[in-house]
Amino acid sequence: MPDAGRQRERPTDAAPSRASDGASDGASDGASDASRLADHSAIARLTEDLLPALIAKLSTTQLGELEVREGEWHIRLRRPYGVGPGEGRRATDKPSRSQPGHEGHGHGRAAVEGHRGSRSSGGASGSAGATSGGSGGATGITAGSGAASASSNGTGSGGRSGGGDGGSDRSRSIATSPAVGIFQPGPRAASGTRVRAGDSLGAVDVLGVPQEIEAPADGIVGSTLVEAGMAVEYGQELIRLELTAPTNAGPAGVR
Amino acid sequence: MFRRILIANRGEIALRILRACRTLGVEAVVAYSEADRDSLPAQLADEAICIGPADARRSYLSAPAVISAALVTGCDAIHPGYGFLSEDETFAEVVRAHDLTFIGPPPDVLDRFASKEGTRRLLGGFGLPTIPGSDTMLRDDQHALSEADRIGYPVLIKPSAGGGGKGMRMVRTSRELESAIKICRSEAKSAFGDDSLYLEKWLDDNRHVEVQVAVDRYGAGVHLGERDCSVQRRHQKILEEAPTPSMSAEARANLADIAIRAVVAAGYENVGTLEFLVDGAGNAYFIEINCRIQVEHPVTEVLTGIDLVALQIRIAAGEPLGLRQSDITTRGHAIEFRINAEDPAHDFRPGAGVIERYHAPGGPGVRMDSHIYPGYEVPPYYDSLLGKLIVWGPDRATAIARSRAALEELLVDGVTTNIEIHRALLDNETFLEGRMTTNLLDRVGGAAFLAAAAAR
Repeated sequence: MPDAGRQRERPTDAAPSRASDGASDGASDGASDASRLADHSAIARLTEDLLPALIAKLSTTQLGELEVREGEWHIRLRRPYGVGPGEGRRATDKPSRSQPGHEGHGHGRAAVEGHRGSRSSGGASGSAGATSGGSGGATGITAGSGAASASSNGTGSGGRSGGGDGGSDRSRSIATSPAVGIFQPGPRAASGTRVRAGDSLGAVDVLGVPQEIEAPADGIVGSTLVEAGMAVEYGQELIRLELTAPTNAGPAGVR
Repeated sequence: MFRRILIANRGEIALRILRACRTLGVEAVVAYSEADRDSLPAQLADEAICIGPADARRSYLSAPAVISAALVTGCDAIHPGYGFLSEDETFAEVVRAHDLTFIGPPPDVLDRFASKEGTRRLLGGFGLPTIPGSDTMLRDDQHALSEADRIGYPVLIKPSAGGGGKGMRMVRTSRELESAIKICRSEAKSAFGDDSLYLEKWLDDNRHVEVQVAVDRYGAGVHLGERDCSVQRRHQKILEEAPTPSMSAEARANLADIAIRAVVAAGYENVGTLEFLVDGAGNAYFIEINCRIQVEHPVTEVLTGIDLVALQIRIAAGEPLGLRQSDITTRGHAIEFRINAEDPAHDFRPGAGVIERYHAPGGPGVRMDSHIYPGYEVPPYYDSLLGKLIVWGPDRATAIARSRAALEELLVDGVTTNIEIHRALLDNETFLEGRMTTNLLDRVGGAAFLAAAAAR
């Protein structure tokens, strides 16, 4: 059932050869011979042309997940859970949170109330999952840097990881709150500080126990979105980063 | 009374608590996990706060996350609902240590009733009949074998912690016992983190009847009658009704009476439910107490006209009960149907997905407690309860007739539900005659039960 409505999508979590196996499985869905042959050749082409590029891309970046759309085909490449950068964190796993109500507030209470308005409209559209919202035949890439994103539940339904990445500005990243508590920025949260992925930017204090806020990527600290000492919720955006690592280009050869 | 309550739960019960808060004029903050961002309770709350990821261990089951959320949102009490942290005495203790009130029994009371085996002993001492069982937790296989011999087969292996049928096995011979204990220990360990087991005599043809009680902190208590929860699948209730069709008014009154006397004497506090097994001869045996609001509480609400969640909150706030036993009257007959996202034709396999269409039935005596709406995505991480249909009638026949109409009208599209099994139940002779026992469904299985109803 998690895969309902995603018939054309072939999971590529595994090695490329797995993708061709997927094609023969596809024969059982009642497709005609002609379209099956077309599928075969499409998969072969994607496997040979695209997958190596994607794998190379994924292994050289901080990304946890890559999704490429070509025609009616999607290819999603994902790091296994717990491998790679940002594990256990969901830095950009919650794009539905990057709403206007979230920008620049400096007060926990107000922040929380700000979510309500945005939520009421989010219900139906947000539920469609990661693979919806495609724009016809156009090629697009969704990238998330949280390795835990979507793969942690193993259902493949994509959860809330879809819907773009806050305007897809890949020169920026945002550190989010690891817990519900009181925001205590550290010395490295000062604007202009050069940080590496995984560096501590401060903590969220949960009943007196600090939970570290990690930089989601290499970069330079920009503005802080919440004042020190304010209440924050889990996943709330806290500190902006200007990225220094080149993670903006899509894989070559994707058309 | 409290000023602001944190609701540390999800789904229909979060909505139910929210409604009680509104009625009492108390502000309600809903704590939700990332998977419940778009949930109805989170949308309707005075304030909503994300406490963690979908994984319940890091959100709804995380005591620090829940308490921290209560503190930063300025709440003075936490309502745990059912499941999750609702009967966790350590959580209740930590809540109190942060100057917040746990809405439920105080920590020391929870602690006293934490072990099922200890509770049977305690309440047995205050006059409740209990099922013959092992005197202590099982030490080893040898101990289990000798206790089973003493009690007499068949026996039921039960975990001291938890519920929901996990770690539970019925065993008919000594040969099966050793391997069954091994399985139960590992199930109990992984489900509850506690692998202590005990034995009970297995009653082959029994009913599950429970008594609703409410006791304030000053020792005043009332019972609110009983409920028959015999219709179950894999030890989980799916239909509850009251009054119990198979018991006389006198037998019901007597059971409720001994139950309230025992819990008041044992120092229980707040709302609670005492579960009994009633055998074919009408003998009732106490099995356990649930120290929380229960899923099926609306059955009692529509019979008595009392808002049990509001009562629970008022008791936790230290208000006197304000009710004597003579103030409690029940009227008519009520049936609750648990509407689950599960497939009765395939071993009640739970499902998830997007609710495409939803229509709740109406009419006289019909109440629907549900958090779903068209477009709502049922997350795969939690229990499969979509809502509860509660139907009241002046008598059982009318309640059943209204239930048929309501189930016919109820529409839930997009996920597989168990609505069919409820329709089939209302055509089942055993159910219609009120003779159902706990193995009504499991004896044949969901698929065969549906097929039999379809063939009629």
